[in-house]
Amino acid sequence: MRPTSFDRLFDEEYTRVAAIARRVLGDPNAPEDVAQEVFLDLHRRFGDNPGAKAPAWARTAAAHTALNMIRSNRRRAGREERYATEPRLIDDPLVAVEAAETTRAVREALARIPRRQATLLALRYSGLSYAEMASALGIGVNAVGTRLRRAEARLRKEVGDASV
Amino acid sequence: MHPSDGTLRRALDEPIATDAASRDHVATCARCAGRIQRMSADAGAVQAMLVSRDPVVDVAAARARLARTEAATPDGVSAPRSARPVRSPNSRASRVMAGFAVASVASVLLVATGGAQDFLSLFQPSQVATVPVTAADVRSLAGLASYGTVTGGSSITFEPEADAAAAAAAAGLGAPAVADLPAGTPATPRYAVVSGGVVTFTFDAALARTAAARAGGVLPPMPAGLDGSTLSVSIAPAVVVSYGVDPTALLHGGSVPTGEAFAVIATRTPTVTSTGLTARQLEDYLLSVPGIPPGVASEIRAIGDPAQTIPVPIPVDLASGSPVTIGGSRGLLIGDSTGVGSAVVWQHNGVVYAIAGTLTSTQVLAVADSTH
Repeated sequence: MRPTSFDRLFDEEYTRVAAIARRVLGDPNAPEDVAQEVFLDLHRRFGDNPGAKAPAWARTAAAHTALNMIRSNRRRAGREERYATEPRLIDDPLVAVEAAETTRAVREALARIPRRQATLLALRYSGLSYAEMASALGIGVNAVGTRLRRAEARLRKEVGDASV
Repeated sequence: MHPSDGTLRRALDEPIATDAASRDHVATCARCAGRIQRMSADAGAVQAMLVSRDPVVDVAAARARLARTEAATPDGVSAPRSARPVRSPNSRASRVMAGFAVASVASVLLVATGGAQDFLSLFQPSQVATVPVTAADVRSLAGLASYGTVTGGSSITFEPEADAAAAAAAAGLGAPAVADLPAGTPATPRYAVVSGGVVTFTFDAALARTAAARAGGVLPPMPAGLDGSTLSVSIAPAVVVSYGVDPTALLHGGSVPTGEAFAVIATRTPTVTSTGLTARQLEDYLLSVPGIPPGVASEIRAIGDPAQTIPVPIPVDLASGSPVTIGGSRGLLIGDSTGVGSAVVWQHNGVVYAIAGTLTSTQVLAVADSTH
């Protein structure tokens, strides 16, 4: 079922790529900007017949690009306004403010922890299996669990420490 | 020897990938139980931090936007520099395992055998909506069983049957037949029947306080009538028709199949009876108790009226679900277009059907359309 053309790859992977960016950014609007950037670069690098490696490349690129976006604070002003403010989720203004602060703290923690850990968390919590994560990161499948464990403990500690 | 952190962590998400020796060890090792508990807590916390609804995208519009950008800037557009080519991730093993993760979740809808299932079968709504969950979340939800007593679940059995007629006789329901199998699927199915039964959960305030304290929290005030209230789920026998996999062997730790594999499950719609509280009261209370992952709770609350819409847990791997129509009946499609795994669930004439396996969403819908 591997895509054989850029168009087919786009149709099959665009939603997933946007979802990965969504996990990293915590922002319902910016993920499509990331997805556009990823596919623009992918098309330029791989051409019209990107082949079997392209889906994994696109997923990893989604995480990296979204992390770059946080780290460079691009769109920061706009994004902070939108963090975790999906109106159907939150009616109470006080709760909305707290949720926005939590979301911002998580994103800042993602930007502080080692990039490989943040990437692994983005891939895991947007849907990749252990075998897929292993392929995407170029490591053995047995190493994924170990690294994921460390990454989760690290992020939780970072967020916890930051909120104390 | 104690399994490594990596092995235990993977077992939380992909238990089917865990070797038998590790499973046997963990079942009896208090130290490893503690390690798993800590891992599960960290994973649950991170899941709550990162959980979010997938963005709603219009792929055709997105492709048009990209084309406009490319036309306007043929060169020199800023692009991610950090990404690098990687090997193809879509191995057969991962597809099979993910497919059976979907299948196991589909089974949750049909066969209540534990605490999480009780929780998720509380009501008989007319709609479904998806909630992305990790294995750690499911464990947390299963912890609700310690808030009371569950009876009847252990009487549910899984028995292989010789053929469609035997399965139909045992289940009291015709075995579904698939007219058009996807290419590469073994043509001969296996049959099995999951026995029915009545599972009753009785809320126990004293047990709940103890469980909450163990989880590191205090129970919120209980609404009047909660203590001693009961909830009973009556499950009819289910027919399981499987292609390319032996579910009996899989349940007993057998090897993962190497080809395309899927199962078709049919059962009469479960019925639910409860005493005392309304669906909304029960949901509000259960989602406020200690130990429920906050991300899951907020997702479930966001869905709306629990009497109308049931939250369907789907693995975070496949965090998408969409409404479909099968033979004129409304259903839910879970999965994606990559072939990692897909499932579809629908009701027709009082029978709930589910199909799940290592199929693309297109294939699983084609199988559903040809099932009768």
